[in-house]
Amino acid sequence: MHELIERSIKEASQYFQNFFIHDYGRQGFLHMIDARIKLLGTFLLIVLAVSTFDPMKVGVIFVSSLILAAFSRIGIKKVLKRIWLFTLFSFIIVLPLTLSFRVEDLLYVLLFTLRVATSLIAIQVLILSTPFNDIVYAMRGLKFPKGFVSTLWLAYRYIILMFTELMRVMLARESRRMTKGSHMDLWRKGGESLGLFFIRTFERAERVQLAMRARGEKVVAIKGSFTRLDKIYILFMAAVTLWWMAI
Amino acid sequence: MHIPDGFLDLSIAAIFYLMTMSVVGFSLLKMSKQKFNGALIGIVAAAIFAVQMLNWPIPGGTSAHFVGGALAGILLGPYAGCLAMTLVLVIQGLVFADGGLTALGANIWNMAVVNVFVGYYIYRALERTNKSVAAFAAGWLGITMAAIFTGMEVGLSSSFKYSLTTAVTVMGTWHGILGIIEGIITTSVVTYIASMRPDLLEGRAETAPGKMAYAAITVMIVLSPLFAYTAELVGYSEPLENVAEMLGAEEHPIYEGLLPDYTVPGLDPYIGTIISAVTGVAIVMGIGYGMRRYA
Repeated sequence: MHELIERSIKEASQYFQNFFIHDYGRQGFLHMIDARIKLLGTFLLIVLAVSTFDPMKVGVIFVSSLILAAFSRIGIKKVLKRIWLFTLFSFIIVLPLTLSFRVEDLLYVLLFTLRVATSLIAIQVLILSTPFNDIVYAMRGLKFPKGFVSTLWLAYRYIILMFTELMRVMLARESRRMTKGSHMDLWRKGGESLGLFFIRTFERAERVQLAMRARGEKVVAIKGSFTRLDKIYILFMAAVTLWWMAI
Repeated sequence: MHIPDGFLDLSIAAIFYLMTMSVVGFSLLKMSKQKFNGALIGIVAAAIFAVQMLNWPIPGGTSAHFVGGALAGILLGPYAGCLAMTLVLVIQGLVFADGGLTALGANIWNMAVVNVFVGYYIYRALERTNKSVAAFAAGWLGITMAAIFTGMEVGLSSSFKYSLTTAVTVMGTWHGILGIIEGIITTSVVTYIASMRPDLLEGRAETAPGKMAYAAITVMIVLSPLFAYTAELVGYSEPLENVAEMLGAEEHPIYEGLLPDYTVPGLDPYIGTIISAVTGVAIVMGIGYGMRRYA
């Protein structure tokens, strides 16, 4: 089972680095923008990118997203480092279409990949400039249901704790194991560990629910008027949209 | 199985946003009537997220990970299970960029609606015969159905040049095989919990959907590919306009209105549409404000 644990920890540590990115993210233009507008702005950029196959239009959104990353001191290199894998994956999926040796198919493959890359840049710029709690508060500000938002925030806060709990259960089982065991053993022990983990999850949830009832709970919502920087961001988005439409 | 942005046509993405919002909204409503236990849903969602990090080795050197939709339905009931999986997918999309923003509706539909509800119903139908067989079938078929729906959505999109048959075959076959692992893990967990804390599974029967809700959600799941097909067929224009074009009918309006076809005469159509949209929103908001204030 040690292989399972090692692989999982390696995978998770790569995955979880997103959680901590906000701590060392520099304060740039986008970091100071109201999360409500940023969320809507990102959605708009992605919609504009994926609603066309016109190379100029997709290019405008691609460049605009990179400009936002550069002006926010996020660093284009960091963004590209985070998107290359999904972009390559998308490229490989459509690559067999080029076997027809037709120019339009080749163009389609390139544009399809560019659309995916552009959307990924837009979402990464949002992620790298906005802590998740701001996104949750923005959702509440945008009138998402309170029950949904509070549960989303709770789930986010408990992810690392639950992963640590899961690893504890797996390590405890591993430390008691005396023989290497077969694949069947691994599956059986792994299944039992997961069962135990979910029982502990339920028990923890009961304790947390009681604690929440005892002290009450509140979800903060981002409210209030927009700052001058927010207005500049809105103007930038409007300009990009008009440029996209005018092409 | 997470669909990224750019794979789906916007019309299909919009249809799945609408359907997902209706089922997730209904689930929220049902949960709030049953004393909404946010801690349970949130922490189980976090636990499922954590379990998805586990890479199970497959002989041959590769690995697969668990999705957990059917398990969420079995452990929490379909409504809470649907909400828990929705939370997992929203966090994956907005924190890890795993799955696109425009495709979020379709991703939630596949993994939080189809996977959870299909898994739950299969488990409920078979549990009296044999709990282990029921859990395996729920895990396996739940994930396979979710994959087939993913294939249909992507295959129907004109943005994705592969045919519907190719997309469905690839997704269905691949996940039909990997789904066996999902089934085995679901069985292991459900069997263990049934032997150690059977009370955790028994309480879920109370959260079963009523007959109407059951029928409505089943019909929506069954018809969703048809909705996607018609959305793709209709595209961004009015269905009636498409029909008129097919029949060769011509438009002869008695009065064209101030903003004919959501445009401003003499202006670029895109700019006209934006002006029309802003005007429309302002009028609706004004009426709403007036009704609130004076009605």
